[in-house]
Amino acid sequence: MTDKTSRSRTILVVGGGISGITAAVEAAEAGHDVVLIEKTPTLGGRVARMNRYFPKLCHPTCGLEINYQRIKKSSRIKVFTMSSVAAVKGGPGGYTVTVKTQPRYVKPSCTACGDCAAAATSEVANHHNYGMDKVKSAHLPHTMAFPMRYVIDGSVVGTPEGAAIQAACKIGAVDLDEKESSFELEVGAVVWATGWRPYPASNLTMYRYDDLPDVITNVEMERLASPDGPTGGKIVRPSDHAAPKTVALIQCAGSRDLNHLPYCSRVCCLASLKHAAYVREQMADAQVDIYYIDLRAHDKLESFVQRLKRDPQVGFVKSKPARIEPSGAGGGAVVCGENTLTREVYAKNYDLVVLATGMQPSVIEGDMPAMDKDLDAYGFIFPEGEAISAGVASGPLDVSMSVQSATAAALKAIRVASV
Amino acid sequence: MSTYDLNFARWVYENVDGGDKMALCMQCGTCSGSCPLGAQMDYGPRKLFMMVRAGLKDKVLESNTLWNCVSCYNCVVRCPRQVPVKYVLHSLGTAAVRAGIPAATKSDNARFARAFWWSASKLGRTDERIVTALFYFSYGLSKGFKMAMANLPVALGLVKTKRMHIGAPYMCKNKGELKTILAKAAEIEARHAK
Ligand SMILES: Cc1cc2nc3c(=O)[nH]c(=O)nc-3n(C[C@H](O)[C@H](O)[C@H](O)COP(=O)(O)OP(=O)(O)OC[C@H]3O[C@@H](n4cnc5c(N)ncnc54)[C@H](O)[C@@H]3O)c2cc1C
Ligand code: SF4
Ligand code: SF4
Repeated sequence: MTDKTSRSRTILVVGGGISGITAAVEAAEAGHDVVLIEKTPTLGGRVARMNRYFPKLCHPTCGLEINYQRIKKSSRIKVFTMSSVAAVKGGPGGYTVTVKTQPRYVKPSCTACGDCAAAATSEVANHHNYGMDKVKSAHLPHTMAFPMRYVIDGSVVGTPEGAAIQAACKIGAVDLDEKESSFELEVGAVVWATGWRPYPASNLTMYRYDDLPDVITNVEMERLASPDGPTGGKIVRPSDHAAPKTVALIQCAGSRDLNHLPYCSRVCCLASLKHAAYVREQMADAQVDIYYIDLRAHDKLESFVQRLKRDPQVGFVKSKPARIEPSGAGGGAVVCGENTLTREVYAKNYDLVVLATGMQPSVIEGDMPAMDKDLDAYGFIFPEGEAISAGVASGPLDVSMSVQSATAAALKAIRVASV
Repeated sequence: MSTYDLNFARWVYENVDGGDKMALCMQCGTCSGSCPLGAQMDYGPRKLFMMVRAGLKDKVLESNTLWNCVSCYNCVVRCPRQVPVKYVLHSLGTAAVRAGIPAATKSDNARFARAFWWSASKLGRTDERIVTALFYFSYGLSKGFKMAMANLPVALGLVKTKRMHIGAPYMCKNKGELKTILAKAAEIEARHAK
């Protein structure tokens, strides 16, 4: 039993995606102090990197904006970005957590005027767009950033460029002397809402993601279709920036595969249906083919499938493609396999091929303190263990299921943190 | 008219090498799509496995899919359910031969296997000339002769480049011992079959 005096009513939420944000506001609105920490420079997680949400195809701003407002209105939530957990000691009711914070080089007084970015000359890979383009070394993480504050890449520290950036900020918000720091927190409960990462497409050697430029992943497709993406929202094939006339969407790219992720990632079928809708909205003459083992529109989302099935330019091919090959002519790629309904062995050329890669828990990246006993075989955190998990950290879920799981996690945390 | 043997799937699961794993097949088509001979097979592994489940015993055992597999292992490494596809096909082929299915016993592969085994078991070595001759003449005298003549230039080329020798066939030294080993192997196999 933990010593009574060391018990705390504060709840720590690790991960500032839609799940972490939800758990934080729910717990705070129920009267608990909450510390929300996020590894990257902004809240929002993967949802902020979507173009739109199924099933209604609304913009990610909807969900996020409301929740940002709830955070701002609450005096009980403290947000630390660029922060992650270095160590956890103690147990339910009384944890001591060491939080490690990376330097942002920009102080809270930043007004997001952008003068620093104007002074920056070098460019770095754009994390928001999965590295498909570049941003200035001083940049806003994205248009929906929370906090609305710039971040400066560490590569300019100690360079003339860094000095110019610092001088450009009229209110003196740039501080290139910031160092990595850490602090300790006493909390009663910890909610892990660390989310997911896309399963690495490079592992699927038969699909040649690494050497065929027009073979992309579903998360890249989200960015291509987004107004703040690398192409300003125009879906083009990477090799020559032409609008694709034929698009193949390959389901279960890594999911439901004992050689990769043995489980169903649950959202990719619907995400691909959404991608078919993106393409068809932009290009009246485009043909989209969805290659699938079986379409899994979970929950109440079958109507979305039926809607797309009515479009004669969206084809459904019951087949897990065996391999993808270079096309003889210029860009594009050839999708090869067996149509399991007709037994036809096909090799079909497409301008653009999108791999519907699944979701892998982000703890795989190994930047979390050891919590092996609470992890299942795939790295998801058991919702029933001692650790409290929310959203995709607990298993593959869509946004609405993540929000439900986060609300449940907030309740569990409140119970553990209430003396 | 197809006849259905409803015990066939169970028999395959229990008696065919890798057959138990076949139960995991989810009909995705990766195997047939990966197969370099996929388009030449009557059914391809995926459909064949479904036919096993359906109990289409005769059609399965008569299928050329069992014999067209070239053991490239594409299917084995790619199958998302880790079904040892190639092994299942080959074991089904063996089962078909043992069942005396004419399509199987008369297939090119079975003829070649018999020729190969005759040389290996009787001489302790596979002598190319004996194996090919037995293979060709298994089709009868006149067809065998035609096949041999068609391949004569190849054979002469091999002799010229010293890839095939002329003279007495290769043989192992102690054929008595080989006989004992093979008898023992047959005994073990018979025990396992029970
Ligand atoms: C291609 C694709 C399309 C999709 N489209 C839809 C859709 O249209 N509709 C829908 O409902 N769902 C969709 N989803 C699912 C949706 O993305 C998830 O349900 C959602 O992202 C879950 O949110 P989360 O907060 O649990 O995880 P995340 O969004 O991954 O957030 C986790 C957060 O935790 C942070 N973090 C990770 N580790 C640490 C750490 N150690 N310390 C601190 N912070 C950390 C991360 O930086 C991140 O900000 C889609 C998924 C894919 C793959
Ligand atoms: S690849 Fe495996 S799971 Fe897919 S059809 Fe072939 S045997 Fe079945
Ligand atoms: S091992 Fe046989 S069945 Fe499998 S892909 Fe190769 S040739 Fe085809």
